[in-house]
Amino acid sequence: MTPHTLTPAVARRSPSAQTRVALVRPKKPLRWITTAAVAAAVVGLHAVAIEGTDFKPELLVDGWKGMAAFIGDAFPPDLSWEKTLRPGLEATLVTLWIGLLGTTLSVPFALLLAALAAENTSPHRLVYQAARAILSFFRAVPDIVFALIFVTAVGLGPFAGVLALICHNTGVMGKLWAESMEEIDSGPQEALRTAGANRVQQVANATLPMVVPQFVGLLLYRFDVNVRSSLGLGLVGAGGIGLLINQSIKSFQFDSMLTHILIVLVLIIVVDQFSAWIRRRLAA
Amino acid sequence: MLLSVQGLRKSFNGRTVLEGVDFSVAAGELVAFLGANGSGKSTTLRCVMGITAPDSGSISIEGTALDTLQGRDLQQARQRMAMIFQKIHLVPRRTALDNVCAGALSRIPTVRSLSPLLFPADVQQEALDCLDRVGLADRAFDRVGRLSGGQQQRVAVARALCQRADVVLADEPVSALDPHAAEQVMALLRELAHSEGLAVAAVLHQPDLALRYADRSIGLLQGSMTFDLPSTEITADHLDTLYAPDRDVSDRKSAA
Ligand SMILES: Nc1ncnc2c1ncn2[C@@H]1O[C@H](COP(=O)(O)OP(=O)(O)O)[C@@H](O)[C@H]1O
Ligand SMILES: [Mg+2]
Repeated sequence: MTPHTLTPAVARRSPSAQTRVALVRPKKPLRWITTAAVAAAVVGLHAVAIEGTDFKPELLVDGWKGMAAFIGDAFPPDLSWEKTLRPGLEATLVTLWIGLLGTTLSVPFALLLAALAAENTSPHRLVYQAARAILSFFRAVPDIVFALIFVTAVGLGPFAGVLALICHNTGVMGKLWAESMEEIDSGPQEALRTAGANRVQQVANATLPMVVPQFVGLLLYRFDVNVRSSLGLGLVGAGGIGLLINQSIKSFQFDSMLTHILIVLVLIIVVDQFSAWIRRRLAA
Repeated sequence: MLLSVQGLRKSFNGRTVLEGVDFSVAAGELVAFLGANGSGKSTTLRCVMGITAPDSGSISIEGTALDTLQGRDLQQARQRMAMIFQKIHLVPRRTALDNVCAGALSRIPTVRSLSPLLFPADVQQEALDCLDRVGLADRAFDRVGRLSGGQQQRVAVARALCQRADVVLADEPVSALDPHAAEQVMALLRELAHSEGLAVAAVLHQPDLALRYADRSIGLLQGSMTFDLPSTEITADHLDTLYAPDRDVSDRKSAA
């Protein structure tokens, strides 16, 4: 549209014009019915959920004495080096290593499955469906369940935790990566297709290099999550600081437990800051 | 004729977009396509490139109709055509050289194309020569994302050269560029046609660029060709018929 074509219309719309366009909002009578129905459904669902989870705040009120005693026992945290601090720090390192290996060793599997499970890179509809199904399976099975399975296979310890994280993280990261590939601008890939590049060449030289920043961002995010999950894995026997927390609770050493939790807190803040720092550098 | 197209027809969901487009482009010639938005310029180029399948029509390269070819021969004939896009479609994170090498992918074994580090040395040398032909050899190792729009489009032209294409189809190659860069890219396309004997067809949004750079201009109006004349013979009347529906307020309303 050129300004030239607009001139007569603009002139007609001067404020002094006699006839103005009346402001009449179109009525949408169904809208408030829909709103009410959605609200009723949400309230109803919550009523059922409260019933289903034995959600009784009065129990919390009655149990406050137990909680107070528990917290009283935990303070002050046990800072003895030999008994608590050193084992805690060592186990925290193990937790970090579990999270690291669980993330990095799942990269090849996640990469392959993501490429097969993204619409714009998958070689065939059936392969796409199969890859999606595999990713859904690994995502649906919680890492704790994988950990329990691997503990029976390779025994208690961090190795089972690493294997569990590899499995679950392949599912989650593969899905996230596949989605970021689908969202990427398809232009460069199409350009290489018209230049006669085959599918693998298109993916390696257009799609993948385009999504590198997103991939690294998601990788760091998963590293962050996996370090935290490996704490939970320790609780079921797959090594690391989680195991120590579990032991100190079972032996009523709440002051040691608090020390371990504080160490974990520091670890999580450090990991979080580290991945935020890398992502900032990447965006710049 | 290097490229000749006859009776190209295409409809989308029952709506006819191309109703029989015939044209040809000789080696050493720059031909411009003009027409209002939606007149079918992009669809024409995409059908010729094989990105969109035409309903009917025949596309020949040096007299050989593509529909008589199969397999490897068809692929080789198609690779003689390269496309330049308005949105450029390079990979911004990669260097200019790596992007140009990608034009040669069809000649590189798949395992050696998994990373630019594996690209054969002779391909890299050829890519550098292509960058030199578009005047950007000194920017070979810069990331494409750091180059200006005009430089990026010239890298895209170098990629087409590295594909060893002798037919270049450009869909609004300069619409996203500032006027100075647009002139540079048009001059480059004309130079490639006139001195290197490429057949270049470019959709242009600005008629004045067509009149100044193209040897011949083709007008498309609602999927039909209204003229196919040497650019020197194009008059204001020719252009008015092409863009008139856009200018008339009552027409626009009835079309909406
Ligand atoms: N893939 C498609 N599906 C449906 N309609 C399309 C498609 N591609 C183009 N069209 C329609 O075809 C007409 C011509 O489009 P196009 O060739 O892009 O025009 P131009 O490039 O001249 O602006 C337009 O009306 C457009 O909406
Ligand atoms: Mg177009």
